[in-house]
Amino acid sequence: MQSYQLPHLPPHLSSVHAALFKDVSDAAQLRQRLITASTAEGPDGTRARDALNFAFIEARLITSLQHLRTAIHQAVMADALGSLRTRTVHSEIIWSLNPTNNISEAMRRYGVSDTSTSLVVVRIDSPELSVTDIERDMDAAVNGTKVPFADLRDITDWTAVKKYHKLGNEVAIQQTKGDVDRERGVVDEIATSSVAMKMVMG
Amino acid sequence: MASPSLALISASTLISQGAEAHRFRKGYRHPTLDASLTRSRVAGEARALLRCLRSGVNVPGVRMVDASEGILGIEQVESDALEEYEIPVDVLMQLIGQEIAKMHLADVIHGDLTTSNMMLRHPSSFKSHHPTLRTELVLIDFGLSFYSSLIEDKAVDLYVLERAFSSTHPDSEPLFASILKAYGQGMGKDWAAIERRLDDVRLRGRKRSMVG
Repeated sequence: MQSYQLPHLPPHLSSVHAALFKDVSDAAQLRQRLITASTAEGPDGTRARDALNFAFIEARLITSLQHLRTAIHQAVMADALGSLRTRTVHSEIIWSLNPTNNISEAMRRYGVSDTSTSLVVVRIDSPELSVTDIERDMDAAVNGTKVPFADLRDITDWTAVKKYHKLGNEVAIQQTKGDVDRERGVVDEIATSSVAMKMVMG
Repeated sequence: MASPSLALISASTLISQGAEAHRFRKGYRHPTLDASLTRSRVAGEARALLRCLRSGVNVPGVRMVDASEGILGIEQVESDALEEYEIPVDVLMQLIGQEIAKMHLADVIHGDLTTSNMMLRHPSSFKSHHPTLRTELVLIDFGLSFYSSLIEDKAVDLYVLERAFSSTHPDSEPLFASILKAYGQGMGKDWAAIERRLDDVRLRGRKRSMVG
């Protein structure tokens, strides 16, 4: 898990923790737990929500750490400015990643789905929370192997990213003339810039 | 509350000050109108950058937008003094012409083309895909840009650059001619009409006559 601070944000949004999990075996159950927790009432409901108080992101659609961090930053900014489009800063990260304004589409594509096998898990909170506790909760929430973010290179599904960003016929892609490294660089830049400007896209 | 992006800026070190680095609130303007103008300007600039990226034009990537404050965060383009690159001047002019052509093919009009709004990426922070060149030319500052497929707007965009060249570079004619040569090759069949229109624009100046 990696942690970093955003000192220009209000305290409750200034601490970011993120980890990449691969070989996730229980995505369907995790998704079911999220749905149940979201409507559960009473102290049990609160406990269930606390245990899953993360953004669970489809890792194969993340093109780089910069792409992820850009989405996180736009989400905490929206929360700080009181302009969240979704219910929480965690769901806002997922919304930021999707090129359109459709919330349910964003959750379906960029959130955890029954077929997810790799997940990026993110927690935004105050620096008062202990990193050890957050990492323990994260490990308890996901059944998978935690790997360094450098392993994204084997996880990113570039065909899906290109499809969702409608990059198939774009000049920038054609210009790379089949040079895979170069094409991935271009796709990553477009995906990152799209996330960064989501606030004014519409 | 105060915007986090203002806190970020005040905690940062200024590298250089542009002419319009920050658009200040106009006290005399209605706050709602001011907010909507601020938002639409930063939105316009960000959209032009994304359109350029998708069209393969070399521009800085977008990193953050705070529409409420009119702040656009972009990638830092590492660059150096022109002499350090040891690029033959005709190659440089060719790069300029090619990049403007790519931009115009995407129907983006820059609105303020000058050599101050062009940078060369430093080889140390950039992996070139070109067989011989170790840098690439990057167009910056899309604050006055807009979409247009009109020949007139493309010709005026070139004319603005030509004027900027003639006022800052001695003996600029052959330089600008080699920019246009590369531009023309990039534009293909669209070039002939733009070339004719550029001649018209040169005769009458940038503003279209309102008479008649």
